Amino acid sequence: MNATCQKIRADILSISHSSGHGHIPTCFSVVEALYAVYRTLRHRPTEPQWAERDLFVLSKGHAALGHYCTLAAFGYFPVAEVGAFGAFGSLFGCHADRFKVPGIEASTGSLGHGIGIAVGMALGLKIQRSARRVVTLVGDGEANEGTVWEAVLVAVDQKLSGLTILYDHNKSQRRCLQIPNPADRFRAFGCAVTEVSGHDLDQLEQALSSFVADKPHVIVADTVKGFGCQTLCDEVFAWHRRSPDSVTLAQLMEELYAG
Amino acid sequence: MRGKFKQIVTELAERDDKVIVILGDVSVYQFDQFRQRWPDRFYNMGILEPTLISVTAGLSAQGFFPFVHTIAPFLTERCYEQIKLDLCYNRFGGNIVTCGASFDYAWDGPTHHAYTDLAILRLLPGMEVMQPGSRRELDVLIRTQYANGNPSYFRLSDHPHDVDTGEVVFGRGTVVHRGSRDVTVITAGPLLGNVLEAVRDLDVNLLSFHTIKPIDQALIAQFAHTRILVVHDAFGLKEAVNEVAGLRVWYHGFPDQFCGWYGKLDDIRQKLGLDATGIRAAVLGMLENRERR
Repeated sequence: MNATCQKIRADILSISHSSGHGHIPTCFSVVEALYAVYRTLRHRPTEPQWAERDLFVLSKGHAALGHYCTLAAFGYFPVAEVGAFGAFGSLFGCHADRFKVPGIEASTGSLGHGIGIAVGMALGLKIQRSARRVVTLVGDGEANEGTVWEAVLVAVDQKLSGLTILYDHNKSQRRCLQIPNPADRFRAFGCAVTEVSGHDLDQLEQALSSFVADKPHVIVADTVKGFGCQTLCDEVFAWHRRSPDSVTLAQLMEELYAG
Repeated sequence: MRGKFKQIVTELAERDDKVIVILGDVSVYQFDQFRQRWPDRFYNMGILEPTLISVTAGLSAQGFFPFVHTIAPFLTERCYEQIKLDLCYNRFGGNIVTCGASFDYAWDGPTHHAYTDLAILRLLPGMEVMQPGSRRELDVLIRTQYANGNPSYFRLSDHPHDVDTGEVVFGRGTVVHRGSRDVTVITAGPLLGNVLEAVRDLDVNLLSFHTIKPIDQALIAQFAHTRILVVHDAFGLKEAVNEVAGLRVWYHGFPDQFCGWYGKLDDIRQKLGLDATGIRAAVLGMLENRERR
């Protein structure tokens, strides 16, 4: 595992332990995706409002802790500041507020909203003939929401080649409404689709760097919920919104660094 | 009023290249010339109202002033969460402009009626809620509010009144008529036409509002010593008026039932007692019973 991605996961575990908040498995499935996004996009951590920056919208808002720890890893703020995660008066809520956290382009949390906002942003940039681009990260559970597919219809109809939809196929809905063969579905909607291993940074960065004329690009990232700690992978539902106590934290850290 | 809306937006687009029109496949012919003139600022985007609002938010984030327009119940009740979160919570501005409410599509029945829009939108922090009653009110309100960065709601009507309500200022109500008895009738939007016809020769005060949020509390407070009768064909005005402390308020308006009688706007208004005759009877009842509670 990439050392920074390992560190981001360790931060997620530590902050979840100390704060009592966070969706660890859903964060762990997207750490490489988030890391690859900030490796690929044009952005300035010391100048978050840089006018020429590319835009990232975390549509699956439940991964906010993973997003914060990734932004910290890139230097947006010290990770120690995220320690107040979810606490009264903290800037770092369990879902992100764009007015409180540098690097957050849209406040999300309710599923199926961020992708529509991202479509509007990409349309706005297209109208301005801007070279800036928009990436949004959508979860497969989130794709139960009809608005995800509404937004895809519009993105295809408007030929938004500046929009990349990163789809976290972590099979989170295996006990509920599953979406098998997501790549086929996005293709059927008219998107350009690339399938990657969602924990392979080279594949992710290559896919994030490619564009297809006149089509939004969907990257279906095949991921493992809880990736990095076997205990989390084995007990996904038990750990959906659970924070480790001291003993379990030590065990999870051991698994993380053994892996 | 839709024609007026098109005219205003076209004039604004002439001098402001941040003006964008997004339609939900409604009023498309109205905007034919607009589309031909500014094809990259006109989008008949589809019949997917929640996404129309989300896209509006994203365009606003990129500095545009979008006008998103379709039928009232679908663009308000159906996508309430998108308005709440994508526009209001994110503080991405935008102009939501609807047609069809309350009963402009009377014949279509309850699926196409909209009478909660004003009431539910006024609950959202940062939202501006307007129900212009005349083309002139619409004209002033759009021009002063469209680019202020706030989410703004404009409810159009196919049956505007032509009453001169004096100077039109966002957030201010108008005294249409002053009387000496202790009764004040308060209304909003196009229904002012019926209300004025009903009370023209009665010795009551008559106030009219085009802005439901923020409501002009100072004006209402001037009439706090009188009994107040809110006459409205929707929810929202009564609730806004009641936020002024110490009032005695009665309501002549919308019942707790679906109005599935079809026909035309006037048929439904008559059935609800919101034609001039019905309104007059309600006001006379107030005048005849000083102790009425």
